[in-house]
Amino acid sequence: MLKYSIRRLLGMIPMLILVSIVVFSLAKMMPGDSLSGEIDPLNTNPEYIAEMREKLGYNDPIHIQYFDWITGFAQGDFGKSTRFKIPVKDVILEKLPNTLFLGLTALFITYVLAFMMGMYSGRKPYTIGDNAIAGINYIMLAIPSFVAAVFAIYLFSFKLDWFPFGGSVDILVEKGTMEYWFSRLHHVLLPALVLGAMSTASYTQFLRNDIIENSRKDFVRTARAKGTPMKKIYNVHILRNSIIPLVTFLGFDFAALIGGAIITESIFTYPGIGQLFLESILSRDYPTLMALTMLLSVLTLVGNLIADILYGVVDPRIRLD
Amino acid sequence: MKNKSLIWLFAIILVLSAFLAACGGNDSDTATEEADTDEGTADEKATEGEAQQGGTMVYGIDAPPEGLFSSAFYGIATDGEVIDLFDEPLIDYNENLEPQPNVASWETEDNKVFNFTFEEGVKWHNGEELTVNDWVFALETIASPDYDGPRYTNVQTIEGAEAFRKGEADSISGIEVVSDYEITITFDQARVNNLTNLWVYPLPESVLGDVPVAEMSASEWVRSTPIGIGPFKVDNIVAGESLELSKNEDYWNGDVNLDKIIVRVIDNSSVVGALQNGDVDMISLQPVTGPEVEPLENVEIVTYPGLSYYFVGFKLGVFDNETQTISEELPKYQSKELRQAMMYAINRQEWVDAFFFGYANVINKPVPTSHWNAADDSELNTYEYDPEKAKSLLDEAGYVDTNDDGFREDPNGDEFVVKFSHYATGNPTFESRAQAITQYWNEVGIQTELEMVEVNLYYDMIEKDDPSIETFFGGWSTAADPDPSGLWKADQLWNYPRYNNPEADQLLDDALNIDIVGTDQQARADLYIEWQKIVNEEVPMLYIAELEEIKALNKRVGGTEYDVSGQNNPAEWFVTE
Repeated sequence: MLKYSIRRLLGMIPMLILVSIVVFSLAKMMPGDSLSGEIDPLNTNPEYIAEMREKLGYNDPIHIQYFDWITGFAQGDFGKSTRFKIPVKDVILEKLPNTLFLGLTALFITYVLAFMMGMYSGRKPYTIGDNAIAGINYIMLAIPSFVAAVFAIYLFSFKLDWFPFGGSVDILVEKGTMEYWFSRLHHVLLPALVLGAMSTASYTQFLRNDIIENSRKDFVRTARAKGTPMKKIYNVHILRNSIIPLVTFLGFDFAALIGGAIITESIFTYPGIGQLFLESILSRDYPTLMALTMLLSVLTLVGNLIADILYGVVDPRIRLD
Repeated sequence: MKNKSLIWLFAIILVLSAFLAACGGNDSDTATEEADTDEGTADEKATEGEAQQGGTMVYGIDAPPEGLFSSAFYGIATDGEVIDLFDEPLIDYNENLEPQPNVASWETEDNKVFNFTFEEGVKWHNGEELTVNDWVFALETIASPDYDGPRYTNVQTIEGAEAFRKGEADSISGIEVVSDYEITITFDQARVNNLTNLWVYPLPESVLGDVPVAEMSASEWVRSTPIGIGPFKVDNIVAGESLELSKNEDYWNGDVNLDKIIVRVIDNSSVVGALQNGDVDMISLQPVTGPEVEPLENVEIVTYPGLSYYFVGFKLGVFDNETQTISEELPKYQSKELRQAMMYAINRQEWVDAFFFGYANVINKPVPTSHWNAADDSELNTYEYDPEKAKSLLDEAGYVDTNDDGFREDPNGDEFVVKFSHYATGNPTFESRAQAITQYWNEVGIQTELEMVEVNLYYDMIEKDDPSIETFFGGWSTAADPDPSGLWKADQLWNYPRYNNPEADQLLDDALNIDIVGTDQQARADLYIEWQKIVNEEVPMLYIAELEEIKALNKRVGGTEYDVSGQNNPAEWFVTE
């Protein structure tokens, strides 16, 4: 397994170099730059913009800009955000905890809902209940997240007043207290619900199909013949086997957790990585934009590796070498 | 398990039905409540009752702040809004946009040398007293070669600023500290607008004094614990979403009514709901949100004149940035009759009503009406919508339909197609408002094509005189000093139409020339009005509309006043329970 991991890690290097070239060229091909939005006779003038372009190195030849960026990046220096005027690393670290908190809560909600629905559907396939669950799942998958977010705010925040409509914490509570964490949780629940409940479809249907398939296997027949209660067969014997394929999703979840939810975070004015990503595109904050894209590419690759390794761990039949 | 999924199904049905009910319900509400809406159209709102002490107000901003909470460093308007709550300038502006003393008063005899006197006993939020040294510190910071903000233009007219920036001098020679409360500033030459152009925000030397200029914008004194001299001080910042400000007990200029102001980022999609539920007390609105907020019973809308205008520009030439001149003249839109006809063809009132919901007014000159030098409409051609007049002007100028395709050809008989460009953002109304303008032109027989261009690329293309830009939609906002030279003279990069009229440029120069106008504002205004008559007649751009600023206030908020210079001192705001 160690050999396998090392081989995979080495294989990532050329991939990352290619990704970095693509990310860099795409960013440079975007029209305008971080200064083109600043044309405002109130507080700036053409000389300032020309001077800043020179200072930021926008006038250097393209390959020099690339090598400057990639050497810094490899050494952990992501550059300085043109928008916040502080190192990109600090900007990302500031937003990361929020996004992780939201992502984990959403993932938890997804898992709980998907397990409940998937197990029910798998046990009673082709019944009204199963079809209703499938229907709901696909409707949720089809509803765009910004629509869902706006509905959720309208209903749960403005009409019922159960949850706050935005932000990550009530600024008036003292940091570090019990109340503070409660406020954090209160703020994160609604966006997490929108994110989590909307993406149950793949988990649910995967689990359902696997349970149906497993229930026709020989070991199930044997267990039934022995007189094992149906409940135990489904909840223990079948479920354990059916969870295995779900492990492949973990890799994708890993990158999605860090990547944040661009639309949902923006609508809930939740200051996380997703919102940062959107804002940095709009304001042409290249250093932040490129660092985030690279980071997500790395995480996706690493996530896939983890998924593959985990696959071997949970299912000894799969050998990695 | 079965029950759980049923509950879930039920919840979804509930969500969907609530939405449908909301859609159906809104219309009837609007109709019945329209009568009660009182919309303060005056630029001042009379406040009911006595000012109350205490309480917390929630101030909404519609985009996350970048966190550069220092007047010298901030870049976006949202940060500026926050700074206005906890800091104030030495000199501010009255409702006629004339400078008036705030912390500092001034005297000058020749508009070159100014003597400033500070109020004594004004304290920074950290308890240190404000002295002229803090101002000198601010000016030298901005003039430093390491300074990474955009404000140097407000310092460079001080004598010796250029030498200081190049490292030839250790201090700016035009600044002379007389005492802790008195300072003399000498400009490189006498100008009528030296004072309005000058940078008038001090920086706290007591805390920033040890920070190298290059690191200032990233320092905690700018990002997390900013201080100022205003009525509120910053207690707590949650980056990107909210700030907590509390009353400054030592405020120099009267009592502060509110105990706290919470500044909160509110996404545009939540503004109406937040206002209705009283989650936000004060927020600026986009024109498109106005009609939705008007019916709310607990919210009052206040409008006041803004300082920005929208136009449709013609590319009349090509600018050479090296020589700072207009190097080439483009022939297509040189005909004045053509431009005037295109102006007459647009029903600007209808367009403004449709796309700005009554929060904008038609304008006939490139100077917002609130400026003291704005020409009255009676002195200008108002270009009332008149398609017949447009057609006859086009006929006279030789733009007639010679091949019977329904559209006019140019005087040489060649196909004539106007290309109109508009910037595209996520806003879906932009395309329809641009489309509307092309339709007006099509109706008088001018064939028009529309191109929507991504906004960042758009201004880049306009600035570089890209040949694919022929006529373009744009907007400018103007500063307290209404001199339009930077946007209009032939040697300016931001003269986007590349309008080149030496006579008009001369008028602009004269209006700034102290030997000609002295310190007489009326004499200046007369020259500017003369200039406006020329550009109104020649229409190098079609003046479309000037916008109003819109504030939504919860009815419990009092003590607010708005005029063209912005809001009154936040110290006077109060809330009633």
